[in-house]
Order: sequence, then C-alpha cells, then structure tokens
Amino acid sequence: MTRKKVKLAFITNDSSRKATFKKRKKGLMKKVSELSTLCGVDACAVIYNHYDSQPDIWPEDHNAALRVVAQFKRMPEMEQSKKMINQASFIHHRISKAAEQLKKLRHDNREKEVTDVMYQCSIGKLGLHGLVVADLNDMGWLIDQKVEGDL
Amino acid sequence: MAKKPSMGRQKIKIQKIEVKNHLQVTFSKRRSGLFKKASELCTLCGVEIAIIVFSPAGKVFSFGHPNVESIIDRYLTRNPNPNNSITDPFNLAEAQRSASVRDLNLQLGQIVNELEMERKRGENLDNMRKTNENHYWWESPVCKLGLEELEQLKEAMEELKKNVTLQGSKMMNSTSIFGSNVAGVFDQYESKPNQAILGSNSGASINNNFGYCHGFF
Repeated sequence: MTRKKVKLAFITNDSSRKATFKKRKKGLMKKVSELSTLCGVDACAVIYNHYDSQPDIWPEDHNAALRVVAQFKRMPEMEQSKKMINQASFIHHRISKAAEQLKKLRHDNREKEVTDVMYQCSIGKLGLHGLVVADLNDMGWLIDQKVEGDL
Repeated sequence: MAKKPSMGRQKIKIQKIEVKNHLQVTFSKRRSGLFKKASELCTLCGVEIAIIVFSPAGKVFSFGHPNVESIIDRYLTRNPNPNNSITDPFNLAEAQRSASVRDLNLQLGQIVNELEMERKRGENLDNMRKTNENHYWWESPVCKLGLEELEQLKEAMEELKKNVTLQGSKMMNSTSIFGSNVAGVFDQYESKPNQAILGSNSGASINNNFGYCHGFF
C-alpha cells in the first residue's frame, strides 16, 4: 500500500476526491465493524455525501442501524452530550495534544543538546566564552542534576 | 534511559477480546483512531458524518460533522430533501464554520510538521550520542562506570560547574542589556528550535554566530 503524505484539506480535484472518498469510506466502515466485534459493543455510522440522498451506513441493515440510534436517543441528554464531539472541537483537541507533545520533545532535545555541549566543554573542545547566559544556566542546572542524581 | 519499544503492529483475529483489560485499552485506542479517520474523511471529501459508539462500560461516544444531532435527525426523518441550512452554500453560519475548520486543519498540519521535524532532530541527537559513547567513556550512562571513573567524572563536572558559574557572572557584569531576567526561563513551545549555540549540528557550534542577544525571545 503506497503511503503518500496527504494534506489535511478539501480535495479540489473531483475524481481524486471521489476515489479518496470511496477508499476511505470503505476503510472507515471496516474500522467501525472491527471495533464493534473486538470490543463487543454497539455502534453505527451514517455518512452523507453530496451525490446520493441516501446515506452510507453501518451496519448495512437499516433496522440494525436504527436500533443503535434509538438506543442512543433513549439515553438522557446529558449522557449523550457528555462524550459527544464535533469536527471543530476534535481538531482543536488534536492540536493541543500535538502542542503538548511538541513542547516535551523540544525540552528533551534541548536537554540532549546541552548534555553534548557540557561534555564538549568538560574536555576543552568547546570554550565557555562562546555561550550565552541561557545556555550557561541550562548547563549549570544539568551539571547539578548529574552530580546530585547520578554521581 | 532508552525508551522501551512498543510491540508494534500485531495482527489480531477479529473476534471479541477475552482479556477485559486488553478490551478496554483496545476500545479506547480504536475509538480514538476511528474518530480521527472520520474527521479526516470529512475534511478531505467534504462529507457529513455521525458515528455512535457505546463503550464496554455502557457510556456512549459520538462524533459528528457538522454535529451529531443534525445528522441523526436527518437520518431518522429520512428526509430526501436535506435540511437546507446544512448544505446551503450561502448560509453564513455554515460558511463561517467551514472556514474555521479549514483554519484549524491548517494549524494542525503545521504542528504535525513541526512535530515530525523535532522527532527527526531527536533521532539525530540520539545517533550522535551513541557514537560519542563509544569514543568517550565518560559519556556512557553512569551505571556502566566504575567507582574510580565516577569520582573522576564528578570532579570534572564540579570543576566545569565552577567555570560555568564564573563565566555566567562575568557576562552578567560586563553587559547591561541582559536586564534582571537572566534566569533564562523561557517557554519551550514558544521558542524557536535552534537557539543560541545549540544549533542542529552541535559539533560545529564554535563557528556559529553567537551574539549576546541570542537566547532572548
């Protein structure tokens, strides 16, 4: 299966979009089905596209799908909305998660870099005069950590 | 400490999972992945979706675009003429909603790219570290060193710290532009990746252009 990086934007090319829709819809329905089976839970999916008035659904049988919807509707409003999410909030959530990961990653990488510089300085490969205060501070902190923690 | 690699992708049989704990973990992960795929489908193909999933504990999760209720109601009434406010291109609310989703997706795309770049950077740093560990015994993890080596290292570190502190105060005294905030506290997320001397190729750092103003954002 070729893995091309896809931009997260509306596909303007009609035939390309149609092909993508067909593939991904199939994949999505498969994932719903697997989730339902693996975890023994009820689920349903309804997809409206602009070509058909009739939606694509899973389970494929309308009665089965409607049963799940009815089950959903029977729940108190608060229960329904508790774990309900729409596209905008979902993407928002993804952004904050990614931002958190990025922050941690940057921190980790910074630590790796400062460690490397610390070693270079300790063997005289690099002079301290080339560093700025922020670097010196970080290195000082790192040395303390190392001495107190490890040594 | 090296991160323990996960088991990776395993092929499993599509039947109900026996172990309750596995089942719950699987549910959580797959539900999340499912919504992610649904979200992508909406963005890429401009379709409207609702997904309802009940959890093993009986709670219900749902994802919808533009929202779960309108899609479900539409499905229930089986109205051949869909509610115009959803598909009417001239509907202002709808247009605004699409625009903000578009922006959000752009933002998401950017962050994901940055994440990828940072990950690669981390990998490079790790590789460099590995080669250095082979050359220089003191860069090995502390647990691998003997007592004498540890004492040597400790001495070297303490000496370095002295010099670092010395250099730091020298700099603080010689220029006034540093101001009072020399603690070097900065928000990692806001800062640019290549700060001060610590550019992406640490080995060549001596030759970089470090002005005294670097590192202040």
